[in-house]
Amino acid sequence: MRDNTLKYLLVMPAVVVVFATAIWPLIEAARLSFTVGRLNRPGSLDQYLGWENYTWAFFEEPAFWNSVWVTAVYTVLTVGLTTVFALALALLLAPGGRLRSSAQTLLILPFAMSPALIGVSFRFMFNPEFGLFDAFFGVLIPPLADVSWLADPNLAFAVVVMADVWGWIPFLTLVLIGGLASVPRDTIEAAQVDGASGWRVFRDVTLPQLAPVLAVVIILKSIFSLKTFDQVFMLTNGGPGTATQTLSHYIYFNGMKYGQIGYSASVAWLMVIPMIFLTYAYAKFVFRKA
Amino acid sequence: MTGRQRKQLWGAVHTVLILIAMFVMLVPIIWIFLAAFKTHVDVYQLKLFFTPTLENFGIVFDDPYRLGEKLFNSTIVALVTVIIAIPIATLAAYSFSRFRLTGETMMLVTILATQFVPAVVIILPFFVMFRDIGLLDTRSGLILVNLAIVMPFAIWMIKGFIDGIPLDTEEAAMVDGSSRLQVIRNIVLPMAAPGLLTSAIFCFIIAWNEFLFALILTNKNAVTLPIGLALFKAEEGDLWNLLSAAGIIIMAPMFVLALMIRKYFVQGMTMGAVR
Repeated sequence: MRDNTLKYLLVMPAVVVVFATAIWPLIEAARLSFTVGRLNRPGSLDQYLGWENYTWAFFEEPAFWNSVWVTAVYTVLTVGLTTVFALALALLLAPGGRLRSSAQTLLILPFAMSPALIGVSFRFMFNPEFGLFDAFFGVLIPPLADVSWLADPNLAFAVVVMADVWGWIPFLTLVLIGGLASVPRDTIEAAQVDGASGWRVFRDVTLPQLAPVLAVVIILKSIFSLKTFDQVFMLTNGGPGTATQTLSHYIYFNGMKYGQIGYSASVAWLMVIPMIFLTYAYAKFVFRKA
Repeated sequence: MTGRQRKQLWGAVHTVLILIAMFVMLVPIIWIFLAAFKTHVDVYQLKLFFTPTLENFGIVFDDPYRLGEKLFNSTIVALVTVIIAIPIATLAAYSFSRFRLTGETMMLVTILATQFVPAVVIILPFFVMFRDIGLLDTRSGLILVNLAIVMPFAIWMIKGFIDGIPLDTEEAAMVDGSSRLQVIRNIVLPMAAPGLLTSAIFCFIIAWNEFLFALILTNKNAVTLPIGLALFKAEEGDLWNLLSAAGIIIMAPMFVLALMIRKYFVQGMTMGAVR
C-alpha cells in the first residue's frame, strides 16, 4: 500500500473515536441548548426556543451569576496559590541531594488520591468533632477548635480552595523542578560572582528563564480549576447554600437533579468559551516546541 | 556570622522546610490510612494511638456495601478503555509523527482541545442518548464515554514517544524491502513499547479515577469505586472508617502505578508541552 493512502488510514480510527466521543456531544449539546429540553417531557428535546435558555441564564437567574462568581474567585485563588507554593517548593527541592530526591518521589504519591477522594479526606479532616483540624486547633489555637468549617459559607469556600491547592501542588512542583533544571547553572553562578543577592538572581536570572514553563502550568491549572467538579461534589456538594457551587456543579445540578437538559446545555456551552481561549494559548506552547 | 556558618544555617533551614512541606503533603493520606484500620469507636474519638483492625475491609466487601462489585466494574471499565484506546492511538500517533497530513495541525489542535472540554458538557448528550438506547448503567456505556477523555491524551503522549525514536533503523529496513506496516510491527512497536506501557498506565489512572461520567451514567449495576464512596454516607453521618477503607482500596493500585511511571510524570501530564 502506498504511504499516501496508509497515513490517512492509520489516523482514521482515532478520528472516528474523537469525533464520536467529543465532537458529536459538543455539537449535540449546542443543539440541546436551544431546546426546551426537559428530561421528563417527551418531545421537548426537539422543541426549539431560540436564545431563551441563554437570556434566562443572563437575566433571570442569580444562581447562574453566583456560580460564575464562585468559579472565577476559585480559579484565581487556586491558580495563584498553587503556583506560588509550588514555585517555592520547587526552589527548595531543585538543586538535588538525597533528601530532595526522596521528596520528589513522595510528591508522586498524592496523585493516587483522585479529586473525589481528596474531597472525602478534606471533609473528614475538617469535621468539627473528630477531624484532624479540630484536634490540631484544640491544642494550638483553642478558639478555632469546634468551628463548623463546612457549615460557614466563607470557611467552606476556603476549605474547598485549600483542598484543590493541596491536590495540585505536587504536579506543579514537579513541572517547575523540570523547568528549573533547564536554567543554565553558569548564568546563575556568574550572577552570584558579580555579587548579586539571592533574590536578585531569582528575579533577574531564574524567573525570566522559567517564564515559558510558568506560563504553561498557569494555563493548564486554569483549565482544570475552571472545570472543577469532583472534589467540590464530595466535599461540600456546592453548599452551604450555593457558597461553593462552581459552574460544573451548577450544570450538573440543573441537568441531573432538575432534568433541565436544555438549560444546563446552554450554561455548559458558555463554559466552553473561555476554554477555547485557554486551549489556543496552550496549543501555541505545544507547537512552539514541535 | 561567617560565610560558612551562614551557609550551614541556611542548609539546616532548607532541610526543615522540606520536611515540613513533605509532612503537609502527606497528612491527608496518612490520616485516611490510619482511619481505615480503626474501629468505628476509635475513629470517632480522634485517637492517634489505637489497636489496628482489619474488620473495615471485611465490612465494605460484605452486604449491603458489596464493594467487590464496584471494584470489578472499575477494573473492567478502566482496563477495556485502555485496551481499546492504546492501539488506535498508537496508529494515529505514528502517522502524525512520521507523515505530513493535510490538515494535520488542525487535527492535532482539535484532539488537544477535546482534552480540555469540561466533562459536564460532553455528558449531557450522552445521558439522553444512552437513556434512549438502553446504555444507561452499563459498563459498555461507561467505556465508550471514557474514551473521550483517554483518547486525546493517549494520542499526544504516544506521539511524543514515537517522535523520540530515531528514523534511521526504519529507513534502513525499508531500503531492505520491508513494507511500512512491517516496519511499524517489527521496529517501531518494540522500540516504543516502554512508552506505550507508560501511556497505558496514565490512561488507566485517568479511567480509574473518573468520577462525573460514572456519577451520571450509573446507579446500580455499573457503579464504579469512586461513586461507591457515596455508599458510606449513612443517616447518622459519614461512616469514616469504612470510607477510609474504601479509599485505601481505590488508592492502592494508583500508588504502585504512579511510582512506575514516575520518570515520565511531568511529560505525560503536560502532554509534552514542558520538558
